[in-house]
Amino acid sequence: MAKAPEVSHNGAGMIARRDLAVRVAARSDLSPTCFRLTLQTEEPFDAVPGQFGMLSCSDGFDPLLRRAFSLAGVSRRGNNAEVELLIKEVGKGTMLLRHAAVGSALRLLAPLGNGFSLDPGPHRLALVAGGIGLPPVLFAAEALAARGTQFDLYLGGASAAELLELKRCGRAVSRAGGELVLTTDDGSRGEQGFITAALVRRLSEGRAYSRVLGCGPTPMLAALTLLVRGHGLEAELSLEEPMACGMGVCLGCVVELADGRYVPACKEGPVFPVSRLAAGWWG
Amino acid sequence: MSARLATSVGSLALANPIMAASGTFGYGLDLLEFCPPERLGAVVTKGLSPKPRRGSSTPRIVETAAGMINAIGLQNIGVEAFCTDALPVLRQRGAVVAVNVFGERMEEYVEVIERCEREDGIAAYELNVSCPNVSAGGIEFGHDPAQLEHLTRMCRDATRRPLWVKLSPNAPDLVGTARAAVAGGADALTLINTLRAMAIDAEKRRPVLARGCGGLSGPAIKPIALRMVWEVHRALPEVPVVGIGGVESGRDAAEFLLAGASAVQVGTAIFREPVAPLRIVSELELFCDEQGVAEVGELVGALEWH
Repeated sequence: MAKAPEVSHNGAGMIARRDLAVRVAARSDLSPTCFRLTLQTEEPFDAVPGQFGMLSCSDGFDPLLRRAFSLAGVSRRGNNAEVELLIKEVGKGTMLLRHAAVGSALRLLAPLGNGFSLDPGPHRLALVAGGIGLPPVLFAAEALAARGTQFDLYLGGASAAELLELKRCGRAVSRAGGELVLTTDDGSRGEQGFITAALVRRLSEGRAYSRVLGCGPTPMLAALTLLVRGHGLEAELSLEEPMACGMGVCLGCVVELADGRYVPACKEGPVFPVSRLAAGWWG
Repeated sequence: MSARLATSVGSLALANPIMAASGTFGYGLDLLEFCPPERLGAVVTKGLSPKPRRGSSTPRIVETAAGMINAIGLQNIGVEAFCTDALPVLRQRGAVVAVNVFGERMEEYVEVIERCEREDGIAAYELNVSCPNVSAGGIEFGHDPAQLEHLTRMCRDATRRPLWVKLSPNAPDLVGTARAAVAGGADALTLINTLRAMAIDAEKRRPVLARGCGGLSGPAIKPIALRMVWEVHRALPEVPVVGIGGVESGRDAAEFLLAGASAVQVGTAIFREPVAPLRIVSELELFCDEQGVAEVGELVGALEWH
């Protein structure tokens, strides 16, 4: 991703994390439980797909902690930027965000963690998203489409209502010359069944992928891990763990690696190559 | 920052009374861009053991009303890696470093201190005898006054540096353990560590945390921490206390000073705002301005009882 000079970088050449003052620029419902939140930064900002931010959801002490959200997109606007989040209301923090008035001031600590590798490889990429795991995958899809990398996008959900941002997904896929594969558990849209089954069907038909990039609920990522290991595929997965700080100091969000170590997902992830992860990392 | 915030914990002089608490600030260098360690009164390291520790399985944390419960299990890089990798940088930056010391056996506490004694740039040791999240060591020593006195004396014999003992709010006799630590040679007492607590997932009918229980921190525990600081200060007015528990603002810090603390640690607040300790330093200075306090030491133990 192109990096403009006004975005500051840290010693490792990565975009420096900052605690940004942001305003809610727009908010719109995507489903009965999910919504899109567009935040406007008052400083230059950029991020790579797969990186995340810690967003404040109240000035008070309940909820006490910020909430971690993978970024769904960043649009640069001169010295400002718009950061897009796709959020599912699951508790008090996300409920407050759902009702945040346009114009309200929040804090966003970002960009955090490591994103997906967007290297194309010899074949196309398989992007796999389950439910509200879509944001980093959508960010990656739009970035890949912009650079002309081919990919197929697999999007699964419990029902049609959980398949979010279908128009954008469709646009990115057609720009990349790939296939948009939809599945629902109840068959209300696309193929009935799990998204991993749809991927297996295409692999067994002989479709070849350089790499799989995935995000979704842990059971889906566990199934995807077994699938790619069984097929000898490389994969990078964006994992979700409860986080307090997002900066590697609380050690709450650890993931078990193949070498037995626990490492914080916020700092060494949230995107991990499957080859780095312990055999049964999902516990 | 003006000299009016200068204070001391026993013989240790501090530029200001605000410290980053153990387990919330890594090894002092993890949040440099938000909170340079040399701008705080002191930084307390994550608890260090002789060998690296892997820590507990997940889930390790859960948020509760105005607080959080953690069961990290003292995951740490070990004292050797700290002395080799982090300490030289902290020293070069001029940070005041307190090393939080943990062992499963009493000898391991001494082992950590002996390794640190070979290094310059360590201002104090804080003994962790109150972690509720490990099955061996720590908490057992913190709950039994006789064992605590023995452990403190073993560590006292290993160093001439200031020795603080971080007390458990879960001990059956708080003042008794405070007296035992002082009898063993502690220079100061840090209180409080987290309160043993539990969260339950009602649908699954299971505890949320993998370990079942953990330690509660955050604003929810501040009133308990204030009461405990005040009780220990009243019982042992000559012993310096480092207050900790739910500090989120300069005003909170002032409350701990009034209750008898000489300095204050900021912990969970860092998780929601990495610049929190520095903000609290500024707010405390403003509080002193507004209240006509010439030197922050005037606040220590200045609670007026009616």
